Amino acid sequence: MPAIEATGLAKSYAGRRALWDLSFSVERGEVFGLLGPNGAGKTTTLRILAGLISPDAGRAQVAGCEVRPGSPAGAALRGKIGLLTEQPGFYDRLTARENLVVFGKLQGLTAHEADARASRLLSRFLLAPHAARPFAVLSRGMKQKLAIARALLHEPEIILLDEPTVGLDPEATREVRALVGELAAEKRTLVLCTHHLDEVERLCARAAFVAGRLLAVHDVQKMAHGAHRVRLELDSPLDGALALLRGLPFVRAATPERAQTLLLELAGRAHAPDALAALVASGARVLSAVPVRDPLEEAYLALLGQARSEGLIS
Amino acid sequence: MSPLRGAAVMVEKELLELRRSPVLLLSMISLPITIVLMPLGLYAWLMRAAPEQAVDFLRDLYGIAGEGGKAAALAALLAKNWLPMFLVLPIFLPILIAAQSVGGERERRTLEPLLATPVTTLEIILGKSVAAVVPSVLLTWIAAAIFCGGIDALALPHLPPGSPAPLPDGSWLFATGVLSPLLALFGNAIAVVLGSVVADPRAAQNLAGMTVVPLLGALVAQLAGRVSLGWRFYFALALAALVADIALVALAARLFDREKLLTRWR
Repeated sequence: MPAIEATGLAKSYAGRRALWDLSFSVERGEVFGLLGPNGAGKTTTLRILAGLISPDAGRAQVAGCEVRPGSPAGAALRGKIGLLTEQPGFYDRLTARENLVVFGKLQGLTAHEADARASRLLSRFLLAPHAARPFAVLSRGMKQKLAIARALLHEPEIILLDEPTVGLDPEATREVRALVGELAAEKRTLVLCTHHLDEVERLCARAAFVAGRLLAVHDVQKMAHGAHRVRLELDSPLDGALALLRGLPFVRAATPERAQTLLLELAGRAHAPDALAALVASGARVLSAVPVRDPLEEAYLALLGQARSEGLIS
Repeated sequence: MSPLRGAAVMVEKELLELRRSPVLLLSMISLPITIVLMPLGLYAWLMRAAPEQAVDFLRDLYGIAGEGGKAAALAALLAKNWLPMFLVLPIFLPILIAAQSVGGERERRTLEPLLATPVTTLEIILGKSVAAVVPSVLLTWIAAAIFCGGIDALALPHLPPGSPAPLPDGSWLFATGVLSPLLALFGNAIAVVLGSVVADPRAAQNLAGMTVVPLLGALVAQLAGRVSLGWRFYFALALAALVADIALVALAARLFDREKLLTRWR
């Protein structure tokens, strides 16, 4: 049974459609990406899955709990979900530790359990030296790490991360990505909501492209480890070059694009120097060799274009 | 998690936040201090400076007979006229806390993480209400105790030996013991209702604060000698507060819709 099974989810706010006909499933232990531009309905999807709001239509099974229109999921579901909200959302005057302990108790932990788990997570996330400082004075990166710690306090079955690196400086972004990477390596069920393709590429097994409705679900790892493409511009006839390249064992395809450019599809990035060396050795004059955008980015931009042409996003 | 436990955690969190908010604490304490010290200072000054003239003036204005001497007359006047101020306190103090606690959660973006926990709506409202009402009622009782003790301390040396302490009398006991908690619940419920429907917590606080105006009006009318607030008034006020409390708590529970609170001010 999948950890999450969403079918035909739809949600409107004051007559404005935020989400419609969204279906996808997430397996247990899978890191699943929700990709889409701002306003695509990603946060709404997470809120439905977290039991914060109910869908107008459709249904979802989340950690064995039913989410249906008109009946917001109860405390049972919220206890099984760890949600990282878009803003950290802690009490400014309480210390980092006090905040964690309060949220731990609100999750149903005893005072002792909440305190012990807070200590463990503060140490793990290198926040222990800042445990006694008020939340308000922590850096943005520390606040975000604390928010991730809160999402883990009650050892949830499913962790929903809403834009975990948004608004962070490069150093904090790297730290938070490393943390999310650790969670992914622990085989936890994660739904990562983001518009950073590199995060999805690095962390997710599959990703859903969302723009109000589901546009596509891609196997990210297959895409990332698939063909490497290079656009070549030559100052010599293409025919000979095409014949040569097509004869190389690591070349999957060589396709002419314009009079002097061709698209080369290699079995892997490591073969690019070999292909270029073979061309040069045959007397071809290579003016430029430009790697084509990675397949995920290509697919994302193509789907965005499709969404725009369909009027799904502006 | 039992309902009481979730509410207890909310109370603990709210009180911890309150303890760390010096400005809020100062505003909560300054009002009772003013209300207690002002009449006591006036009483002490009148007793020393011009007791006869004061009693004559009061006799003309309020028809106080002055039996038992000037000290008893002045004490009775202050006890009667200043009592409504001790009813303003339990309304106003919870408003200071509660309006910030509901609207503030939304403003500080803590509402979504809070609502993402298994804690129920009832627990949130109950926890926030207890954290606003209990300190307010306690402060009112402490202020009333200091006021009554102060009046007695100033009056007793001037009264015939063996005279009973003027305060607290029946009105004071009813007002502080019964009416104060009901009015504190009223102030809190008004603040919760307005905090749930008004986007800006400061606006909610200001609007909720307006509810003390009728009581202040009654106080001014009594000070001007236009009305005399007695048992009947306080009893009617208690009944009205009880009815309003029940209606407002039901309304607050309906308005505190988790989904609307999250999405209305997107």
